[in-house]
Amino acid sequence: MRAKAKLYPKEAARLLREKPGVREAVTGATLHFDRNRLKAYAEVPIAEWRERAKAIKDHALSHLDQYLELAEKRLKENGVQVHYAEEPKDAHRLLREIVERRGVKRAVKAKSMLTEELGVNPLLASLGVEVYETDLGEYLIQLLGEPPSHIVGPAIHLSLKEIQTLFHERFGTPLDASPEALAQVARKVLREAFLTAELGISGANFLVAETGTLALMENEGNIRLSTSLPKVHVAFVGIEKLLPRFQDLALFLPLTARAATGQRLSTFVSLIQGPARKGEEGPEEVHVVLVDHGRTALLADPEAWETLRCLRCGACLNACPVYRQTGGHPYGYVYSGPIGAVLDPGLLSLEEAYPLPYASTLCGACLEACPVKIPIPKLLLTWRHRAVAEGLSPAWERAMLAAYRRVMESPALYRLFSKALRGLPLPQDLLPLLRAWTEGRGPLKPSPKPFHQLWREMEEGHGR
Amino acid sequence: MDARSRILSRIQRALKDRPKALLPEHPHPPFPEDPIPLLLARLAENGAEPHLLSPEGAQALLRELAQGLPGVAFGQGVPTPFREGLNPLPPEEAPLGVSWALFAVAETGTLALSSADGRRAQLLPPTHLVLVERERVYPTLLQAFQDLKELPIALGLHSGPSKSADIGQVMVKGVHGPGRLIVAVLT
Repeated sequence: MRAKAKLYPKEAARLLREKPGVREAVTGATLHFDRNRLKAYAEVPIAEWRERAKAIKDHALSHLDQYLELAEKRLKENGVQVHYAEEPKDAHRLLREIVERRGVKRAVKAKSMLTEELGVNPLLASLGVEVYETDLGEYLIQLLGEPPSHIVGPAIHLSLKEIQTLFHERFGTPLDASPEALAQVARKVLREAFLTAELGISGANFLVAETGTLALMENEGNIRLSTSLPKVHVAFVGIEKLLPRFQDLALFLPLTARAATGQRLSTFVSLIQGPARKGEEGPEEVHVVLVDHGRTALLADPEAWETLRCLRCGACLNACPVYRQTGGHPYGYVYSGPIGAVLDPGLLSLEEAYPLPYASTLCGACLEACPVKIPIPKLLLTWRHRAVAEGLSPAWERAMLAAYRRVMESPALYRLFSKALRGLPLPQDLLPLLRAWTEGRGPLKPSPKPFHQLWREMEEGHGR
Repeated sequence: MDARSRILSRIQRALKDRPKALLPEHPHPPFPEDPIPLLLARLAENGAEPHLLSPEGAQALLRELAQGLPGVAFGQGVPTPFREGLNPLPPEEAPLGVSWALFAVAETGTLALSSADGRRAQLLPPTHLVLVERERVYPTLLQAFQDLKELPIALGLHSGPSKSADIGQVMVKGVHGPGRLIVAVLT
């Protein structure tokens, strides 16, 4: 996916104007997810869980080279073919080779944000491979030609009505078809795809170094089918997904499920060790592609590396009052919401993702929600400081702040300006910022006496 | 240098001056006396249909479920007495799949299914009956994982019927996998 993060404020405004239904759909869905998360957190010693999860991730990240090598060793012992990809083109080369060697005509995909990063779908399409996204939400947006709007619920911005219309146009279902009926139509189309595809593609929630285990979480069963039925399974795994020990999954699987959807565990978890043994059902070939794509650069960042703890649960999106207004599309990159605002500058570059660190109220709800305690508000400020230092902020903002600083640093100028503000009528209807403030409030009335004078009078009045 | 060595050397450079974080141990929570009631309750909360039955009772349940159906898809591990009198069908065609679970976890209402048992029968039929022995029920996921001696090629954890709320936030069952999960804990 090409980054369009620079357009954030314009795209957000356009979406709110042109598709007001998105706000309603996204707010409804995220509030629902967020309430479920709070209930699920309250059921367990969440403070201790979060602290332990953070510590395990920090350990894995501070020994990443060792765990990567151990994972590679174990995967190979299990018969998995291991590849490294620094850039999307490395992943493309590998897929092209598999498509040609195995004569792949059809591929089924389990939802994966990393494959969005790598542009797997357009690549396969260019190779003449028919690609089916098999997660129901992901299938909907694939039919619409849209990118995902939410890390966990890619289609939460769509209303039932829009989906009914989409299916009516594509499959001739009645305009008032029930969600059950629509799901049955998708099940039929995708079941056929599962049974005929030569290639299954997935991401991974975790990769366990000790055992070489790929862990995948879902509720529909499409991931288990995508990784079980086709003869070839390719999993794209970000190098930050490593966990040291198999038993760490006993913490991370339920913690991620509670954070993401408020479940105690996802309905289906697949823990995959490798290709099928002789006489057993399952894929003949399993490939694991360990992907960098900006992650080592982020790891080297003395402040922002903590973002790599992210489990991609989407809890911060659900908690965010800014994300709720528009959903993920205006953010312009794979990762949206608070985590996107700090991860995208790290993965892309601050210049590419410039306005995203400003897409927040700094209310701190994202930090409260985060299962691995990523200090998102602090990191938003870090990226904002860097944006200012690199001169990325707009010229008018820099000029305004420079003028403000001059006035605040000089008592004489300060007195002059406060006098002018009291004496001159404020053009309250002309300045948009003031107009926004006075809507629903009375007009702004400057105090007739400056604070300094009031203070003096108060001190004198008390006879001190 | 290839991609692998470049990535590894970039990681080593990034970590050169970074303090090493310690790896914490997992706590060992007290073992509840009997996890069975919790397992049955959690399975029901997950939308499954749990039963606590003798092997004979479970066989009767299976026969009742299979009544009027053209046949049943069986997992490798399902013992012979459960298969008697039933027509075996390939999973693509069978309206009912029967599996033998490796273990179950009470706290999450979860069944662990081995790929050695056969994955298609666990996923393709619209109804899935899982049999699990009472002795194989663990109170927590951590205890089950710590006790696991050998990992199958693919371990599937199933905690209820297949479901999705992707269409207008309405919960729908049986999206890709089985829409009905029936569990018999064997006494």
